[in-house]
Amino acid sequence: MADAGWPGCSKSLKGVVLDMCGVLYDSGEGDGVALPGSVEAVKKLKASDLQLRFCTNETQATREKFVAKLQRLGFDICVSEVFSPAPAAVAVLKERGLKPHLLVYDGVLPEFDSVDKTNPNCVVIGDAAEKFSYQNLNEAFRVLINLEKPVLFSLGQGRYYKETDGLKLDVGVYMKALEYACDLKAEVIGKPSPMFFQSVLNDMGLQPSETLMIGDDLVNDVGGAQHCGMKGIQVRTGKYRASDEKHPTVTADGTVDNLAQAVDLILGQRGH
Amino acid sequence: MAGRRALKAVLIDLSGTLHIEDTAVPGAQDALNRLRKSSVAVKFVTNTTKESKRNLLERLQRLNFDLQEKEIFTSLSAARSLLEQKQHRPLLLVEHSALEDFTGIDTSEPNAVVVGLAPDHFDYQTLNKAFRMILEGAPLIAIHKARYYKRKDGLALGPGPFVTGLEYAADCKATVVGKPERTFFTQALSDLGCSPSEAVMIGDDARDDVGGAQNAGMLGILVRTGKYRKGDESKINPPPHLTCDNFPDAVEYIMKNLDTSH
Repeated sequence: MADAGWPGCSKSLKGVVLDMCGVLYDSGEGDGVALPGSVEAVKKLKASDLQLRFCTNETQATREKFVAKLQRLGFDICVSEVFSPAPAAVAVLKERGLKPHLLVYDGVLPEFDSVDKTNPNCVVIGDAAEKFSYQNLNEAFRVLINLEKPVLFSLGQGRYYKETDGLKLDVGVYMKALEYACDLKAEVIGKPSPMFFQSVLNDMGLQPSETLMIGDDLVNDVGGAQHCGMKGIQVRTGKYRASDEKHPTVTADGTVDNLAQAVDLILGQRGH
Repeated sequence: MAGRRALKAVLIDLSGTLHIEDTAVPGAQDALNRLRKSSVAVKFVTNTTKESKRNLLERLQRLNFDLQEKEIFTSLSAARSLLEQKQHRPLLLVEHSALEDFTGIDTSEPNAVVVGLAPDHFDYQTLNKAFRMILEGAPLIAIHKARYYKRKDGLALGPGPFVTGLEYAADCKATVVGKPERTFFTQALSDLGCSPSEAVMIGDDARDDVGGAQNAGMLGILVRTGKYRKGDESKINPPPHLTCDNFPDAVEYIMKNLDTSH
């Protein structure tokens, strides 16, 4: 099909999924800063006939607090449009009757209020940032090594992300550390897990081929979406690095300077 | 004696094999003396990177072990030779007590990251700093990659998990200088004038001590002390030449079954 490529494929789209950190804003001191043109770009998408969802591996705050922050930055966004790993993890824990030891950022703890955490029989790690001390990681390690069948859940598997003062290690690094220490394989909840993308598609009632993901993380956003049959576009903001454009295994369907440019290209194709 | 394997050298792990923190494994001093009365050479090889050779020596002498500093070969020694050879200026993530083994190495404007066992340095801030340097092209040098070690209060994470995490973060491969690297064992034997096939390694870590030594062509004996956990012997292929309860039993086996007579 002539229009299978980017940006021609925009004509047949029915939904767009946006990564948040590094696409909408850069995190850092306080609320961080909105990326130039991104507030306006979200407005334009909302005014179009496309469905819009937000998909984040953010695990430092509850969705309510996180969405409130984005609203303060000027974004038109509400909680029901946002998919994040912590609520997905709670669903998995309850379904499997597992009681977690949590190594997560304090801000996200309320998401786990309804979960029994006595005598833990699994470990859940999220992006704990400064809480990733030797002592805290060691505690998680000891829970795992003393279980007959250790189970480790990781809320995402990112390598690093960008804050206003530079690149920061993400949860994937500590997931790999615990995997190596305990000789096990973690179960990833969040991007790039196909289950996670599928739950977003289900919510929109769309097929993967009708949906496009825009993110700054080549492997987790773009690669993860493509793995599910969605199109994946990378923005040159956030954690983007020039070497991403010659990555050995993941090639984005398109690369754009920022979200504003992506949205203008999409809507331009659709005759807006 | 015909049929017995000729043995010229015994490499012995320290922590978990001869002692656990400040307590000697019962009978280990006498067993070491017994080994010394035969004609085999003895060397003490360790990934205990928290401590300088001098610290190690003092601790072992306090526990009444008979040894000299020149008989100790550590992963810090191996790291230092690599830094000197490549003329790197390291960011040293090693504990304060290990720094004296790097005396004289230029650490200004660091262009390499060296990771040892350094719980005090494995905080988020410091690991971020190391990560950013590696992303800019600094090589990552791991003193060793042990998964965990045994402390009085239980098992604790070794440097391996942190090295693995940094490798993943920066999509790079660390150069490992300690056990179980083949070069570590051959370097340790180099001044003893014997080949790996004439040497035995005794240790409590199936992969790092026994597996590493056997990959280098030595025999490996696993002892069930220190960090040993049930089933460890089946974690490596080929399995240990021998698994026994403790260091004195390992020496007993060597004296009875290997030819130490030259």
